[in-house]
Amino acid sequence: MNRIVVTGMGVISAIGHSVQENHAALVSGKTGIIKGGGNFPSRYAGLLPFGEVLINTDELKIKLNVTQPGVTRTTLLALHAFNEAIADAGLTVDELSAHDTALVGATTVGGMCLTDELYANTHGDTENIEYVKSFDYASVNLFIQNRYNITGVVNTMNTACSSSANAIMYGCRLIKTGLASRVIVGGADSLAKFTVNGFNALRILSDEACTPFDQNRKGLNLGEGAAFLVLEKESDAAGKKIYAQVSGYGNANDAYHPSSLSPEGDGPYLAMKSALDSAGLKPADIDFINAHGTGTENNDEVESRAMLNLFGTLPNFASTKGFTGHTLGAASAIEAVYSVLNIDRQELYPNLNFSQPIADIGLQPVLDHRPAAITHVMSNSFGFGGNCTSLVFSKP
Amino acid sequence: MMFYIHKAACISPQQTFGDIDIEQLHLSVDNKLYAIEPKYPHFNGNALRRMSKSTRMGSGAALPLLADEAKPDGIIIGTQVSGMEENGKFLNQIIEYNEDMLTPGSFVQGTPNTISSQIALINNNKNYNLTHVHRGLAFENAVIDAAMLINENPGHTYLLGGVDEISANNYTLDTLGGWFKKEACQNDELYNSTTNGSLSGEGATMFTVSGSKTGALAKLTAITTIHSTDTVIVRERIKSFISQNLPNGEKIDLLLSGENGDARTLPFYLACETLLDNQVPVARFKHMCGEYPTASSFALWLASNFLGNGLNVPQHMLKKQGDFNGVKNILIYNTHKMGQHSCVLVSLVE
Repeated sequence: MNRIVVTGMGVISAIGHSVQENHAALVSGKTGIIKGGGNFPSRYAGLLPFGEVLINTDELKIKLNVTQPGVTRTTLLALHAFNEAIADAGLTVDELSAHDTALVGATTVGGMCLTDELYANTHGDTENIEYVKSFDYASVNLFIQNRYNITGVVNTMNTACSSSANAIMYGCRLIKTGLASRVIVGGADSLAKFTVNGFNALRILSDEACTPFDQNRKGLNLGEGAAFLVLEKESDAAGKKIYAQVSGYGNANDAYHPSSLSPEGDGPYLAMKSALDSAGLKPADIDFINAHGTGTENNDEVESRAMLNLFGTLPNFASTKGFTGHTLGAASAIEAVYSVLNIDRQELYPNLNFSQPIADIGLQPVLDHRPAAITHVMSNSFGFGGNCTSLVFSKP
Repeated sequence: MMFYIHKAACISPQQTFGDIDIEQLHLSVDNKLYAIEPKYPHFNGNALRRMSKSTRMGSGAALPLLADEAKPDGIIIGTQVSGMEENGKFLNQIIEYNEDMLTPGSFVQGTPNTISSQIALINNNKNYNLTHVHRGLAFENAVIDAAMLINENPGHTYLLGGVDEISANNYTLDTLGGWFKKEACQNDELYNSTTNGSLSGEGATMFTVSGSKTGALAKLTAITTIHSTDTVIVRERIKSFISQNLPNGEKIDLLLSGENGDARTLPFYLACETLLDNQVPVARFKHMCGEYPTASSFALWLASNFLGNGLNVPQHMLKKQGDFNGVKNILIYNTHKMGQHSCVLVSLVE
């Protein structure tokens, strides 16, 4: 069987602008969640904590040599991570434009990060007309596609907070069915008035740094960032650094409520179960779970119960949302990079800000950075609309 | 990779839902082709009020396909920005109330995966669920997703759909972007127009698809997507798509062309026509459904019904007359905003 392996990674988040910087912060337990970063215009920018990427949009444009009009912050973050991933995998210009190279990206904000400009545009004001072409989700990947002349399958998906897990799954399936030989998969989202106000109206934003899996958790912090992974067939990756293998994926729907999970956690359970089945693994084979762990009342309790139902006795688990905040469409891709680092570096990273287990559940996540023998990691992502996806990464 | 289309339902600006009658062309209003929506008797009033138009149309079109079958093994939807009207409401709230005291309803209903998740709720369906949003290839990517799943699980059945709505927001944005006509133009005169831009349209089309041939309406034989703004490259790609996928000794018997009255996209459609024999009839559909990112799903509904449901090609669709006896292979060629193209080969089930 031709395994699908990770040969390149790129990430930009609140804890660093490269895989190396992200890794250093994970090891040292340094959070990226702060108040008052100031890169996005919102009345909440200085009031609530966010996982902001501390580089402003104009600086990003210069750094990335983007001179075209109408390129959004979401796209710039995506391009930043994409560039790092393809350089890491050593993909050539010819490989990028080959018919069997696919790009599958995810975003939930897309061009809607330009809330004010969009508002002006949709009311017929032509002042910000450069952005009328980039208001949708596809604009992010279409920009990357044009920049690198990608001619294979190009796709964008939006299943809320599980979007980029689905992009990774979809990329694997493109390789398995022969529609692509190599895929660049990931996701990007930028902080936006649009999502900040949406989550705030739902009353699930915490006014302090989030505390995943803690009894006294108060909600999530939104973050921004992007991550891409290069996936190739093992037979094509000879001589390359192989970080990990993508060994399983599972997608299920909770079919319960538009914006919260069922008390029983059917969707999360089924996603994890089918990811294990597709990897041909038993629950006891999993050494570590990178949990969705947003820090909301609903998610952390339901996820805990679903993990307990499936695993009985849980392996080590942690949420990295305390480092980056919840980066929505980028979250699964960023956490995929962290899961791969768990395997590549044979170590665990802490679940920040935890002090007391949830009553009646009593689960305690990993609290420190430490070496560990890791063969299989599961990464969970659960979204609005009940869209749940779990991935399994394994030691190559 | 291929699959069989078993059922098809479509809520469109024409009489395509319930009692089908596409002979009589319903006319556009102010350059827009609004969907003729049913009364949705199966949804309760509160649920209906909360749904965005795309969720309403998508769920409404899906319902008859879910009525008397086992639950589908997955729900796969393509849409560019469904829920844009709801997004617009939320956008307006943010600006007008200066980010204070907002209600989350429109935010939740404005996410595009609301259609697939609403159908999952109605059907209590916990299986595979995915929403593709890749603009003018959102539906095509959903088709590829379904084809891959059926390739992996030939015995499974999937619900596959394409949905987009006209909202004040996207209509204004795409008008500013030059994609809709600025002068008044009625849909029965669309193809006589020589200016840029098309008419705005919307709709929801749903299919049940599987690897099983028995009782199928049509076979989706092949699909490809093309990314280019060069007519020469696009023509070559369509040519190789036809030669690679058409069975030996067979020909394209009907072209369903996405021609949309936009002077800029016309060269692509003309280039496609030059690949076919002179006798091959050409039928157009955008005067029926308008231009929208998942309009190719409307064309697939037409093709399925022409091949498997005895539906006749109405005169108002025909650009070029021809022989409709023994139609076996229908080519759908469509481009959205010139950079994204797709070819779908739909064949008779024999």
